[in-house]
Parts: sequence; C-alpha cells; structure tokens
Amino acid sequence: MHLLNIFQSEWLKRRRSLASWLVVIGGLFTPVIIFTMRMVYHQRLSLPQKFQLPDFWQVSWNQSWESMALFMLPMGIIMATGLMTQLEYKNNAWKQLHTTPQRMATIFCMKLLIILIMLVQVFVVFNAGLYLFGILPSLLLSSVSYPAADLPVAMIMQWNINFFLDCLPIVGLQYALGLHFKNFLVPFGAGFLLWIVSMSGLTWEYNYILPYSYTMLDYLVLAGRKIRIGTDIHVMSVMYFAVFIVGGYAVYIWKNEKG
Amino acid sequence: MYCVETDHLTYRFARNEPVVRNVHLQVPQGSIYGFLGQNGAGKTTTLRLILGLLKKQQGIITIFGKSFEEHRLQILREIGSLIESPSLYGHLTAVENLTIYQKIHQAPKNRIQEVLELVGLSGTGKKKAGQFSLGMKQRLGLAIALINKPSLLILDEPTNGLDPNGIIEMRELLKQLQREQGITILISSHLLAEIEKLVTHVGIINQGQLIFQGTLPELMSRREQSAGIVLNTSDSQRTMGVLEQLHLGGAVESSGVVLPFVQKEIVANIARELVRSDIAIYGIQQRTDDLETIFMNAIK
Repeated sequence: MHLLNIFQSEWLKRRRSLASWLVVIGGLFTPVIIFTMRMVYHQRLSLPQKFQLPDFWQVSWNQSWESMALFMLPMGIIMATGLMTQLEYKNNAWKQLHTTPQRMATIFCMKLLIILIMLVQVFVVFNAGLYLFGILPSLLLSSVSYPAADLPVAMIMQWNINFFLDCLPIVGLQYALGLHFKNFLVPFGAGFLLWIVSMSGLTWEYNYILPYSYTMLDYLVLAGRKIRIGTDIHVMSVMYFAVFIVGGYAVYIWKNEKG
Repeated sequence: MYCVETDHLTYRFARNEPVVRNVHLQVPQGSIYGFLGQNGAGKTTTLRLILGLLKKQQGIITIFGKSFEEHRLQILREIGSLIESPSLYGHLTAVENLTIYQKIHQAPKNRIQEVLELVGLSGTGKKKAGQFSLGMKQRLGLAIALINKPSLLILDEPTNGLDPNGIIEMRELLKQLQREQGITILISSHLLAEIEKLVTHVGIINQGQLIFQGTLPELMSRREQSAGIVLNTSDSQRTMGVLEQLHLGGAVESSGVVLPFVQKEIVANIARELVRSDIAIYGIQQRTDDLETIFMNAIK
C-alpha cells in the first residue's frame, strides 16, 4: 500500500511536464507524418491499391519504424529520461524528497519504474497511432477502402517486445547519468554522442557492443537489410541495462550530498 | 530530554577546512531553538547533516533519543523540514505539490486543506507554484513541512523573501504550532532581531563552531554585558585621559573610544569634561547590540 502511494506521488510529478508531452508527441509523430504523406500524395501513391495489398500492415509497420528506430526512440528516451530526473534538480526538490521516510532504493526504483511505464506508453501510443492513422484515409477518402489484410497482431507484439528490450540500455545509462549530473546538458550530450557513435558503427563487425545501436540494428533486421550481428542483441541489451542500473544505483546511494 | 542532540559533529567539504567543527547541539523537547550565525557560519551544513542530506563524517546525531543512522525512516516520519529555498514543482498547483508529500507520508487527504488554510494559501486554485511570489512559495514550503503533523520542525531561514507582515505572520504561526501542538522547532537565521521574539533557546555558530548555547534570557544577559558607549571625538588618546580622570575604563577601537555601558548622568558628565578639555565631540552613541557584537564577545 505504501509503495502504491509512493508510486502515485512520483506519477503525479510528471503531470503537465515536458516529458509527458514527449510521450504523446514521440508516439504519434511518425504515424501522423505517414498519414499526412498518404493524404497529400494519395493519387501518386496509388492508395486504393495499396490498401488492398496482403502485406499492407507489414509495409506500414516497417515504414513507421524507420524514423522511430533510428531517431525518434533513442533521442526521445535521452530527452525524456533527462527531463524526468531534471524535475528534481530544476525544482530543487532532491533535498525534500530525501527527507521523506523512504528508502533510497525505493526512490531510485520508483523513478525508474515511471520512466519504463512512460516508455510502454510511447509504444502503446505509437501502435494505436499506427492503426488509427493507418485506417483514417479509408474513412476520409471515398476511393480508399478499409485495409484488406488482417492486422498481424503476433508479429507486431513480437517486434514491440524486441524494440522495448533494445531501448533498455539507453534508459539505464541515461537514468544513471541524469541522477548524477545536475546539468541537463551532460546526460543529453553523452547520450547524443553515444547515439552518433552507435549509428556510425552499425556496419562494424562488433556493432553489438554499442549499447545505443540496438533499435537501429533491429530495424535493419526488420527491413530485411543485410546486416551482421555477432550475438543476440536482446540478451546484450538486458545485460547492459542491469550493469547501468546497478552502477547508477551505487553512484546514487554513495553520493555525499543528497540535495 | 533533548529532541535533537549532536556530539562532536564535524564536517568538511573535499579537503578543505572543516565547515562544522565539534558542534554539540542540544535542542530541548518542546522548545523553539534559534540557530544563529552569519552567512557561511555552518548553519545550513549542520541542519543538512541532521537531516541526513550530507553524509556524516564524524560525530553522533541523536533525534528523539535515537541514533539517526539506525532509525532514519522512523525519525523522518516525525520530522518536517524546509531547507533553504522551498522545494516546489513549478508545473504543479499547491494542492498537487502537497498531494505528492501527503501520499508519501500517508497523511489523510483533508490534511492538505488544513495546512493550506494554516499558511493562508487555500485560495490559490489552479495557479501553478512556479507563478507564486517568493513569500507564497515560502509558505507552501512550510505547508509541505507540516503535512505529516511533525513532532520536530527544522526550518532553515524560513523568513527569506517574506515582507515584514509575512515575517510577523510566520512568527505567530510557529508560536501557535509550538503552543498548541507541542512541536519542537529548530529554526536558523542570520538575524537575531528577526527571531528573538520567537525563540526560547538560542545556539550561535561562528566559523563552524558553536560559540554560545543556552536560553534566550541567558543570551540577553550576555547582550547587556556587551552593551557600551562609543565616543567619537577629535582626539581619542586625550579622551582616554579624560576617562581615566573620571575613573572610567575604555578602549580605543576603530569606531572611537568605547567604554562599558554607564548611566546617562555619567554620559553627560563625560561630555562636559571633554568640552572643558577642548576636545571636539562628533558623536556619542550607545553601541548597537547586534549579532556581530555578541559574536565578537563570545569569541573573546
């Protein structure tokens, strides 16, 4: 019961915050862009025919993940995680939080849980957006019928899980950095740099070592590109997450000044 | 019984000189303890150590008779605090800010309205805390400190940013809390005048060392001892000669010739003798008994 109260108190903090807006914007951005493109160029894109293809959803899914996996998701996590930890720094609230009757581990885990739930929200908004904006042209344009193909729920769920796992190292390291550094630019800069390095190293033999590359590598697999990945990146992803979280927690509890 | 007690509390940042040295603080149960010191004296560091916001390096901290290290959660349940500027989430309303702490402390929901009324913020509605004036923020900070009905309230310069009326209101509120609910209040300030109408006990810290600790009457007694008369004349040495003739002691200081407090008839007599000796008098003042004076006397 007490943990539920603590969770609710942490959840309340994200209300009207920039991080909570990022969830909506980040989740809907790509589906809205694809929808807009389809509406503007519906004749050139032969939408009536496309909506009747058996792989309509598969193609839409692949298209949507391109910008999500390469840019939106990594950068969105870097920003949102930073903003969540900045809520305490910006409002000078660590000192008040650390004088409440809670274990340090509880504070650490609750904040992480909120970030992970927000990440799940992004996936839910993205999936819902993909479906709703996917069928919207058929409701707005008389020449376009409702997609003939069934929604490949199992495939979508599997890739959602894959991409969620891919995000974990980014969440872990950004959270650890965000807790430690008061200056937002430090975790943001480090995250941006690691994203660039990961993107440049996609074709590298040891690309699986780069913890920010997994969403991109998985997208390349999804898109059917020829890419060599030396190991199971989902296992690597979970391992990196565990290391970053344990390290982040150690730094957090051993900090001399707690606000 | 002391509500808060520290023994040989010492703290240093990095490899610098200690900012808190062997502080032996004793805050009696049910008292309003004024923790005085100039800026940088070590007040906030001491309070942050007591609250566990700084990792203790040396010494013992006991609150409600229990070791803080061993009973941290149990002790924090009974404490309300406001350290330096209030910790408010600027994008949330006053009620939302209080809800965060109401949930953590598992306080009843109606406590939010109670504390808002207590600090005079019940009408803020949907206004975000970020749009509050400094005084309103300070009062909301106090409301947060009170949400769990604490037995001990630790306030670090809570009147910062308040107008004179706000300072009086805060003073009356704290007195009421101590009187009606028996809360022990540990309040820091760098202005003696600001808290002398409030506190029952006083501790004075200077350069990290506790140089005075006792009741307010004990401090006032020292204050009277430190009072004096300052003679600002054209010739300090000859003025000292005149004082010797009158069998009065004195000392030459940068502000003039200083002598212990004397009755007004004697002051008039000194003035007469100085004029008779052809020494120009630029001013005769009673020395202000400010905190600095008391510090200086305590250090001597």
